[in-house]
Amino acid sequence: MSHHHHRTISRRKFLGEASCAAIGGTTLLSSILNLGAINTLAARPHIINNPNDYKAMVCILLAGGADSFNMLVPSTPSEYADYQATRGSLALPQNALLPLNYNNAGRTFSVHSGLDGVKNMFDNGEAAFLANIGTLIEPVANYTQFQSGTKKLPLGLYSHSDQIQQWQTVLPQNRSAIGFGGRIADILNDMNTIDQVSLNISLSGKNSFQAGNMYNEYSISRSATAANLGFEGFPSYFSNAGHLNDTRDNAIESMAEAHYTNIFQKTIGNINKQTRDSVEVFRAALGNVIPINNVFSATSLSGDMKMIAELISVKQFLGANRQVFFVTYGGWDHHDDVINNQNVMLPILDNALTEFNTALKQIGMFDNVVTFTISDFARTLTSNGNGSDHAWGSNQIVMGGPVAGQNIYGNFPSLRLDNSNPINLSSRGRMLPTTSVDQFYAELALWFGVSPNDLEYVIPNICNFYSPSSCPTNPGSGYTPLGILS
Amino acid sequence: MQTKFTNMASLLLVFVFISQSLVAQDTIVIGFGDHYGVQVESSTSQAGQSPIKTLGSEGFLPNMNAASRFLAQATFGYDLDDINSVIALGQEGWINQQFAISMATSLTARVQTYHTNARTALGDPNTGTRSNWWDNAWWNYHMTSNDLLRQKVAMALSQLIVISELSGFGGNPYALSSYYDIMLQNAFTNYRTILQKVTYHPAMGEYLTFLNNPKTNLALNQFPDENYSREIMQLFTIGTNMLNMDGSVIMDGQNQPVPTYDNEDIFELSKVFTGLTWADRTSFGRTALTSTSYLQDMVMWETFHEPGIKILLNGDTIPNRNPINGNADITDALNSLFNHPNVPPFVSLFLIQRLVTDNPSPSYVQDVAQVFANNGAGVRGDMKAIIKAILLHPEATSCGSGDLPTFGGLREPFARYMQINKAFNASTMSGVFRNDMNNVYNFTGQRPLASPSVFNFFQRDYQPIGPIEEADKVAPVFQITNAQTVAGYLSGVWEWVLDNNPADEGQLYTGEVSTTYTNQISSFDFTAEKTLVDDDKLHILIDKYNLLLAQGNLTQPTIDIILAAVKQLPNTNDSERERRARFTAYLVMSSPEYLINR
Repeated sequence: MSHHHHRTISRRKFLGEASCAAIGGTTLLSSILNLGAINTLAARPHIINNPNDYKAMVCILLAGGADSFNMLVPSTPSEYADYQATRGSLALPQNALLPLNYNNAGRTFSVHSGLDGVKNMFDNGEAAFLANIGTLIEPVANYTQFQSGTKKLPLGLYSHSDQIQQWQTVLPQNRSAIGFGGRIADILNDMNTIDQVSLNISLSGKNSFQAGNMYNEYSISRSATAANLGFEGFPSYFSNAGHLNDTRDNAIESMAEAHYTNIFQKTIGNINKQTRDSVEVFRAALGNVIPINNVFSATSLSGDMKMIAELISVKQFLGANRQVFFVTYGGWDHHDDVINNQNVMLPILDNALTEFNTALKQIGMFDNVVTFTISDFARTLTSNGNGSDHAWGSNQIVMGGPVAGQNIYGNFPSLRLDNSNPINLSSRGRMLPTTSVDQFYAELALWFGVSPNDLEYVIPNICNFYSPSSCPTNPGSGYTPLGILS
Repeated sequence: MQTKFTNMASLLLVFVFISQSLVAQDTIVIGFGDHYGVQVESSTSQAGQSPIKTLGSEGFLPNMNAASRFLAQATFGYDLDDINSVIALGQEGWINQQFAISMATSLTARVQTYHTNARTALGDPNTGTRSNWWDNAWWNYHMTSNDLLRQKVAMALSQLIVISELSGFGGNPYALSSYYDIMLQNAFTNYRTILQKVTYHPAMGEYLTFLNNPKTNLALNQFPDENYSREIMQLFTIGTNMLNMDGSVIMDGQNQPVPTYDNEDIFELSKVFTGLTWADRTSFGRTALTSTSYLQDMVMWETFHEPGIKILLNGDTIPNRNPINGNADITDALNSLFNHPNVPPFVSLFLIQRLVTDNPSPSYVQDVAQVFANNGAGVRGDMKAIIKAILLHPEATSCGSGDLPTFGGLREPFARYMQINKAFNASTMSGVFRNDMNNVYNFTGQRPLASPSVFNFFQRDYQPIGPIEEADKVAPVFQITNAQTVAGYLSGVWEWVLDNNPADEGQLYTGEVSTTYTNQISSFDFTAEKTLVDDDKLHILIDKYNLLLAQGNLTQPTIDIILAAVKQLPNTNDSERERRARFTAYLVMSSPEYLINR
C-alpha cells in the first residue's frame, strides 16, 4: 500500500470521526469537516459520469507587493487629477497609459504601458481586473470602523510575511499555513484518478496556497523533462544498472516507510516516499508532452507558464480532472525605483499571461482554465523618494475563457487622501480593501466544483461576507456575487 | 536473544565476537550519548546480526557518539579528528579552544587577492570582478579554516539578519564577502555590535532600501522609506508579538497576541534611517561608484536626515537634534531596540533552532535568554556567553532529550553538503579550494547569502502538515523540502559522493584554463573505507558512517536495509570496492534517521 493511499484513508477516517462528533454539535470545525465528507463521497461518481470535466486554476503570486495602483489607473479627468496629486513623483503621465475599452457610468481606466497584452485581452473579454481587493476577516466599512476596535483586523497588517500568507490562506486572524488550494485538494482530490499525484502542482516550491490539511503540493521545475526528472543513479552502461537502481530505490523506499517515533523522521520519510512515487508518474507524463514551441518568451515566468500549459496538455497521464497550479514571480517590493522596475517587470508578466492564453487556445483548454494574480498588498500611494512602502487593498488580474472579461470587479476607490475619502487609512495613502479575497476565492471555488456546503471549509471566513442566515448552504441569497466567472 | 550470561556457550560466543571486533578495529557503536541506550546485556550470534558490545556507562564509543552529536550542533561539518578533539578537551574546553581561534584572513581579503591575481594574469589594471569570487572565497575559507564554531554561528547569523545575492549587488563579490565578514568576525562579539555593523553596511542599505533615504517632503507627498524600520524590528530584533523570556507569546485579555509595535511605530522609526549614503560619493547619489564602494560603511548626509523628535518603543525618545548628529539618532534607536525585552528570547530562540533543535522547551529558551540579557557580568548580548548557554544546556547535551519524539530538526540541505565535504575530508592537491557552488544551489536551493528574500530560506514558525503540525510543533527547514529539493538532494549526493565530484570548479578570470587549477579540484579519498566493504565487514563501515554522519542515530532496521542493499553491489575489483564504500554513504545520507539532527 502506498503511503499516499494510507493518507487518504486516514483522512476519511478523520472526516468520518468528525462527522460523528458533529451530530448536534455546534463547533465550526466539526460541521465543516462533516460537510467535507459529504462532498468527498460525491466527487468520484461525478467525475465518472463526466469524464471530460476538466478545470484548472493558475495562481501567479507577485511576491513582494506589487504597486498595483500604477497597474490600473483611473483616467476620468477628476480621478486622474487625484491620482496625480497623491502619487506625486510616482504618478505615470496620462499619455503613457493605455486606455481600457471600458466605461462604468462615466468612470474610465487605463493600464500601465507594459500591460498591452492584458489590455487587449481585457478589451476582447478574456480578462478582467479586481479593484481594491485585499485580505479581511470581516467587512470593515471605513476608517472610523478600522480605528474603532470593534472590527477584527488581519494580523500583522502591512507586513510581508503575514499579508503574503493571508492572501494564500484567507485566514488573516491566525498564522495558519494551510491555504485555499490545499483545502480545495482536501475536498476534491478524489476527482483525480492517480492516487500519488497531487491536485496541487507548484513551479515555485513549497507555498501556503497549496498546503492542505491532508495533501502536499507536488513541486516541479520549468526545466523538468522526462530525461532529467528523477534521481541520479547507476549509469545505463553498467550491465546490471537496472537491478542496482531497483535495489537502491527499494532501500530508500524501505527506510522512508519504516516506523519512526520522532515526528521529524516520520515527516521526512513521508515526503521522501511521496516524492519517489510522484516523480515516476510525472516522468511518464512528460514523455508524452508535445512541446509548445514558438509561443513563450525566454523569461523564467514564461518558462513556468510553458511548463504549466504542457502539464495541462498531458493531464490524462496525470489522472487529473482538477488541477491547481502555483507560480511565484518575485521582486515586487519596490521601496526603491518603482517606476523603472515596473517598466521592466510588467512586460515580463504581460508576456507570460498573453503567451499562456495563446497556448491554452492552442491545446484546446482555453475554456477550462482561470489564471489570476495575487500579491502581498498594494503599496503606499505616496512616495518615499522614488519608491513606495507597504499598504493593503490592491488591484489584480483575472483571465481565461471562464472569466466574464472586460470588467472591473469590486469598487475602485477614490485616491484622494483628505477627509473626503473614508477608506484611506494613512497620510501615506493606504486603501482599506472594499472587496475581500474571500469573495473572489468563493467564486473560483464554486466554479471549480466545490459544493456550497463545503465553501466554509475552503474559505473559513466566507460567512462573514454572506448574510448569516443563508450561509453557507445558500450563498446566492443575501449575497451579491461579484459575477467574475460566467 | 539470549540475556545474561546464562551459559558457557553464549558467554564464549560473546567473547569471540568481542575479540574479533577488537582485532578488526571494530567501531561498533551503540547507544546515543554517554548513558542513554547503552546495552548492558550480552549480544547474539544470530546470522546477519551485528554483535553488540557490552559496555558500562563509561564506554569509549558512546562518548564518541556524544561528541559527534555535540559537533553536529556546534558545527556544520566535522571529521573524526574533531570528534577526538571534543573527547580530549571536553565540550566546554572545545568551545573555549574555538573561541581562541582568530580568523587567519577575511573573505574580503581573499576576494582582493583574486582581483589582484586576475589583474596580473590579464595585464589589465581595470579588470572587473567576477561573481564567483564570493563563492570561492567563502568555500576556500570554510574548507581550510578550523574555526568550525565560528563558521556555524556566522551561518546562523546570516540567516537571521539576511541579505541575499538575489538582489542588485548579487554579482559583486565585495558586497557579499564584506557583509559575511561581519558575521564571521562578530560571531563571538556582541549582538549589539552586529546590529551596528549591518545597519551601516551598504549592502544592507541597498537590500532594505534605506541607502539614499531622504527625509519627509510634504510638498512632494514624500515620506521616509519604511523598509528597514519594519524589518529590523520584525526580523532582526523583537518580532511582531510581545514575548515572555521563555519565548512564549504574551496574550491579551481576549487571548490575542500583544503586538510589539504598530504601523505608527514603523513610521516613526523610518525617520531615523534617513540620510545614509555611500562614503565615496560627492553627492547623495544612488549607485555604487565602484565594486569596492561596499567596503566602506555608509555615512550620514545631514541635509537628508529627518530633523525633530522621534518617538521610539517603550517610551524611548530621540531628542530634537541638529541633523548633523544623525548618527546619534541611529545609535539611540539601535540601543532602544537592543534593550527591548523581546530581544533575548527572540534572538535566542532563533539561534537554538539553528544550532540544536527546532522546538526548544520554554525553560531552555529562558535559560539562554537570561544569559543573553546578562552574561553574569552585566553584559547584554555577549555572543560567547549565549553560544555556551545554547550548546552546553542539558537539553542540548543530555542523552534523554534526543529520544523525545519532538526533539531535533531536519538538517539544512547546505549543511548536509558541508558535512559530506568535512566528514570525508574533501581535498585538493594544492590545499587550495575552489567551488562556484552552483551545483549545490541547483540541487538544493541553498547556498550562503542566497535566500529568496529577507525572510530567509525558511521561516522560524513553519509547520509542515502531518505529525509535526498535529504535535503543534514547528520545523523550519521543511519549508524548502519539496519534490524538487528531495530529488535534487539525492541526485546531489550521488554526484558528490558516487561520482566523486564534490565541488564545481570554474575559472576565476576570463581565459583562465582549467589545467592551471587542476591542483584545486576537490575529491574524496575512500581508501580506508574500501577496506571495510566485504560482506562480513560492511557493518563496521556503516558503524563508522553512523558515528561520523548520523551521530549514532541509525537503528538496526535501517542498518539492515543498507547492508542488504550494498551487498547487491559487486566487490570483485578495486573500483567496485570503492563504489560499495561510496554507495553505503549515499544510503546512510538518504535515511530519515540521518536526515534528522537530534
